[in-house]
Amino acid sequence: MKKRTIALLLSMGMAMSSLTGCSGSGDSGAGNSSAANDAGAQTGSTAAQAAAGNEGDAITLKFTWWGSQSRHDYTQKILDAYTAEHPNITFEPVPAGWDGYFDKLSTEAASGSMPDIVQMDYLYISTYAKNNSIADLQPYIDDKTIDVSGIDESLLNSAKINGKMAGLVLSTSLVTFPYNPEVLQKAGVEEPESGWTWDEFIAMNQKLKEAGVADAAVINPSLDTNLFNYWVRQHGNQLFSDDQKSLGYADDQLMADYIRMFKDAMDQDLVPTPDEMEQIDTLGLEAGPVVTGEGAFTQNWNNYSTLVASSNDKIKMVTPPTIGSEDKKGLWMKPGMFLSIAETSSHKKEAAEFINWFLNSDTANDIMMAERGTPSSSIARDYLTGSGKMAPQQQDMFAYVDLASSMAGATPAPDPTGMSEINKAFADACNAAFYEQMSSEDAAASFHKKADEILARNN
Amino acid sequence: MAKPSKKQHYKLKDNIAGYLFLSPWIFGFLLMWLVPAIISIYYSFTDFNLLNTPSMIGFSNYIRIFTQDDTFIQSLKVTFSYVFLLVPLRLAFALFVAMLLNQNHKGLGLYRTLYYVPSIIGGSIAVSIVWKQFFGNKGVVMSLLGLFGVQQKMSFLGNPKTALIVIVIMGVWQFGSSMLIFLSALKQIPNSLYESAMVDGGKPWQVFTRITLPMLTPTIFFNLILQIINGFRVFTESYVITDGGPLDSTLSYVLYLYRRAFTYFDMGYSCALAWVLVAIIAVFTVILFKTQNNWVHYEN
Repeated sequence: MKKRTIALLLSMGMAMSSLTGCSGSGDSGAGNSSAANDAGAQTGSTAAQAAAGNEGDAITLKFTWWGSQSRHDYTQKILDAYTAEHPNITFEPVPAGWDGYFDKLSTEAASGSMPDIVQMDYLYISTYAKNNSIADLQPYIDDKTIDVSGIDESLLNSAKINGKMAGLVLSTSLVTFPYNPEVLQKAGVEEPESGWTWDEFIAMNQKLKEAGVADAAVINPSLDTNLFNYWVRQHGNQLFSDDQKSLGYADDQLMADYIRMFKDAMDQDLVPTPDEMEQIDTLGLEAGPVVTGEGAFTQNWNNYSTLVASSNDKIKMVTPPTIGSEDKKGLWMKPGMFLSIAETSSHKKEAAEFINWFLNSDTANDIMMAERGTPSSSIARDYLTGSGKMAPQQQDMFAYVDLASSMAGATPAPDPTGMSEINKAFADACNAAFYEQMSSEDAAASFHKKADEILARNN
Repeated sequence: MAKPSKKQHYKLKDNIAGYLFLSPWIFGFLLMWLVPAIISIYYSFTDFNLLNTPSMIGFSNYIRIFTQDDTFIQSLKVTFSYVFLLVPLRLAFALFVAMLLNQNHKGLGLYRTLYYVPSIIGGSIAVSIVWKQFFGNKGVVMSLLGLFGVQQKMSFLGNPKTALIVIVIMGVWQFGSSMLIFLSALKQIPNSLYESAMVDGGKPWQVFTRITLPMLTPTIFFNLILQIINGFRVFTESYVITDGGPLDSTLSYVLYLYRRAFTYFDMGYSCALAWVLVAIIAVFTVILFKTQNNWVHYEN
């Protein structure tokens, strides 16, 4: 009898603990939302909280971003600085690597628990905007909560999707070919200059290879469609049609040539095969071959030299190769990243205030030092240029924007919905050719077919 | 009259205690498993993309799976090859080790524990990453082969023909749970059978095929079903080690449906894929149960 009672009690305890475990988190959730509504003080339980104070109410903003460890570290410093200025605002930072970041975000969005402030990429912003997961920032721009006076109009509007300002563009980036000048010098190869051609690029790498450079050009041509997009544009075409329901170019020879150029380079051991690339990727950015001096060229964005400065501060950058006199200005100012506010956030106003501070304030820019790319706002750019605190890498990055803008054409429309699937189809097609399972022509044709199908389904 | 009712009263009390003990599990089962599973049936008939309000589109998702999706077929091929390579190899290896451990040596307990370790850690991310470093380009295996003069252009993981095999080997290595089940079954085979075989002069091989194997068939059957179901659900290895590559040669079915759901924002379609997998597993299980009369030997 006694045993049974004990057993009963124990099992009750277990049942209760599992129940309270859930209701506990439920409570805190309710606490959050009631704090949000405290201006209205609709519910009795919030009355006490509302009475506790009005503008000084403690608010926690959840902020998620992707990046490297150094970005995580300094972003935390920025958040601390903001809390020091605004003691009622604290943050719940959710740093992550690029891998898996958007998988997690989509789940959070689906369950209505998206962080208040989200670092957003061009790749996905239209998907989130079209499904009303992120808030329209236009009201906050109109009421001057967010000062956009320093941002170029067309750049600002790159986040305008279906008439809604889906994010605030934080930085610009351009396709860039970073290189290690020491490696070039050792191999007796002259440093490239803006306006160089693909032929010269290949010739340089052949020379580097002869001089014993292990990985001449650490480029992954099938990583995503950015480099291919540049290729398409420099040949006077566009990647997507205006209505985004199909690819924008007709002749598959365009892609076949692109594949063949890199396939030839792989055969000559100038560019890593997909297999070798897989292993290089595991090294991470800061320990990549170009940084360590085992490689000469790579392809990245123009904040690359800043990103790797702590490991190697000698890296230089050049605009990607042209096709010679026929070249049609393939570069474009890509919005580097955006900050968006979740539609479900109950602190949109406070989040917008923070975004403004993050974008324009001297304090934030002092710490960030353009690590997230060239700041979109001229206020931030002017401050950094005038501050005299910029390292040579940052000066290079800023100079690159000026240099590249003379070579840049119009900014294309935001990526269509289904972009990640397109990128996958592109990688599959290229790799099939790189693995010699398809000819370059067949691979190009198969990508065209698949991409049209994806675009038609999604847009 | 009074006595049985009191007994029933106790029984009822017992049951309540039992259910209360079970309640954390039941709670989790309903909330985290049954309810989502039922909802996913509904989603599979909608255009749900994780962010929108789903609207019904009938059987479109299912029709698309069977008529337009090459990747679905590729992922099925991969998963079937994986299951049919892995399950026999893993069971054979598990039985082999179990028979080795079913003897009276010193320190056998330690070995049993050690051999079980891969099953505990094998499904983890860390081990998958180690595996990737092992068999990848410039990895240990490649370097060792290089030492012996075997020069290969492609690593085992980078070669579409061999990548899946590496993943199968990793699966075989996680033989621990099957091994334990075999071990306990081996211990239950009556010694008298072996003794009489010895008296009759049975050779070791005959003893194994005539006594051990038939006596083990119920266990083999049990392990087979368990492992086939598990095999169809392979995800971590192909997600972490190869991310389905190269050229989708290790794209497991579950990885593909994960991608559909969370990378391509195609949740409705992904739910439909999940239910197709359920149907496939169900068919396999039914077939196995139907055939068991022919080969599974129950003692009574």
